Amino acid sequence: MQPETAYQEQELLFKQKKKNLSKKRMDYLLLLLPTLGIFIFFFLLPLFFLFITGFKTFDASSGVGNDWTLENYTKFLSDTFYLGVLWRTVKIALLTTLVAIVISFPVAYQITKANRRIKNYLTLIVLSPLLISMVIRCYGWVILLSNNGVVNNALLKFGWIDKPLTLLYTEFSVVIGMVHVLFPYMVLSIMGSLERIDPSVIRASQNLGASPIRTFFSIVLPLTLPGIFAGSVMVFSLGISSFVTPAILGGPQVKVMSFLTYEQVAVMLNWPYGSAIGFLLIFIATITIIIYSKLLTTSKKGVAIQ
Amino acid sequence: MRKALPKFGLNFFCLLVYIFLAAPIVVVLFSSLTTTEYIVFPPKGLTLRWYTELVNHPEFMQSFMLSIGVAFGTAIISTVIGTMSSIAVVRYQFRGKTAIMQLVGSPLLIPTVVFGVALLQFYSWIGLATSPAALVIGHIILTIPFVMRLVVASLVGFDRSIEQAAMNLGAGSMRVFFQITLPIIKSGVIAGAIFAFITSFDDLTVALFIVSTDVVTLPVRIFTYMQYQYDPIITSVSSIVILLTVVLMVVIERVLGVGKVFESKNE
Repeated sequence: MQPETAYQEQELLFKQKKKNLSKKRMDYLLLLLPTLGIFIFFFLLPLFFLFITGFKTFDASSGVGNDWTLENYTKFLSDTFYLGVLWRTVKIALLTTLVAIVISFPVAYQITKANRRIKNYLTLIVLSPLLISMVIRCYGWVILLSNNGVVNNALLKFGWIDKPLTLLYTEFSVVIGMVHVLFPYMVLSIMGSLERIDPSVIRASQNLGASPIRTFFSIVLPLTLPGIFAGSVMVFSLGISSFVTPAILGGPQVKVMSFLTYEQVAVMLNWPYGSAIGFLLIFIATITIIIYSKLLTTSKKGVAIQ
Repeated sequence: MRKALPKFGLNFFCLLVYIFLAAPIVVVLFSSLTTTEYIVFPPKGLTLRWYTELVNHPEFMQSFMLSIGVAFGTAIISTVIGTMSSIAVVRYQFRGKTAIMQLVGSPLLIPTVVFGVALLQFYSWIGLATSPAALVIGHIILTIPFVMRLVVASLVGFDRSIEQAAMNLGAGSMRVFFQITLPIIKSGVIAGAIFAFITSFDDLTVALFIVSTDVVTLPVRIFTYMQYQYDPIITSVSSIVILLTVVLMVVIERVLGVGKVFESKNE
């Protein structure tokens, strides 16, 4: 009698488990449904349609045509003006990245060295720009950099210049604004690396007689390279695709890829060309990320071998 | 001496960087107090005139309320559906999980301009253009990556035996979620909601494509006003926004600790 009950019990348990399992299967689909639905209908589908539009013909009088063409892409890649815009976009992003590294490293270093309370305050100061509206921060830069702005007035007063410098609507102002916007990402990334350095490694270097400067260049800096690298990729890819800062601080005078996309669509109503420019931008951003992850895996292997 | 000099240099350099960070914000705050008809820093005289002047510009108030509404809608919906998806991703094993994670993370990689253009084209085809709801949908997509990252992080270190105990004691799965799971992952969920709110409130790029004459969010209003006029009205509007943000930041700091919120944005 007893084995039978045990068997029945087991069977019951098994059935229950099976029921639970199929119920669970339903559960995760239900949980994912709203997010996936929105992403498929309002993200993937629109992007797919826009990609298709990039291969359509366009006529200024009749609008988007029905014929297929590669002209939008060839037009961009064979015109020196447009290639110039592409180069400017990359250049501004690269400059932003370099400046961000130079000013972030000391700040990240100072924050990691500080005691806990000061550390919290400093982190707050460094990160707070992220929370304040980007449009407003760029507007602050307009007030600072315009021809009769704060910087020019100060320079005139000290007699360092005779007439106002053109600072606003130049590549300079765009880089300044972008460094301001993207700086926190770089600091956080470098801080992450600095915090992972084992203090005993630094002590060892000092005990072996290395000067603080030597310790910094042969121990601290190499160990923070992964953080600098990760931060650079983030700043660069956010930099080439950013729109608000170049639009406000550069305007039509300093055209970048994102502004060109906006202009083609909103002003020229040339959707196919806007689409082609937009997808070229996506292409460059994706390439950057891919190269980065490739380099990261090889460098990890390198570390493993060591 | 040999040690003090580099340290002084470091601190001085960092001070310059902090001034650089604060400069545009400080300039906006102070020039809103000027008595002149144009923007000038340092302000000439002190007055709150540009704040009272806002009464004559109801469009700013309208845009402000619209932005708040859109940001609230985005934060609530994004947090609810983002939390649901996070639970599915952390708790269940299924095929295509990596693909789904990559899909919901991809808005961070796609330039916002391109997404805005794509959305505008799609909306005009299906006839959903220029409504606050259309904007909320766009913002949900921009904010889901942040929400999910934060909620997934708080779900991963979760001790499920507590839930098991509640179940064994006879609690239904809904009751377990609201009385056990939610209180434990609360900080991640709140941080996600705050991030969604800020991202939506700050968005210019997507909103720029989905505006019409009566649906204009505050960033778009400031952006377009700025292109034609250069009077201190903008600085007073901006100052109000900055002060509200500071209040919000203090709340975040009290509730969660700022560092925690930012860890997610950085990764």
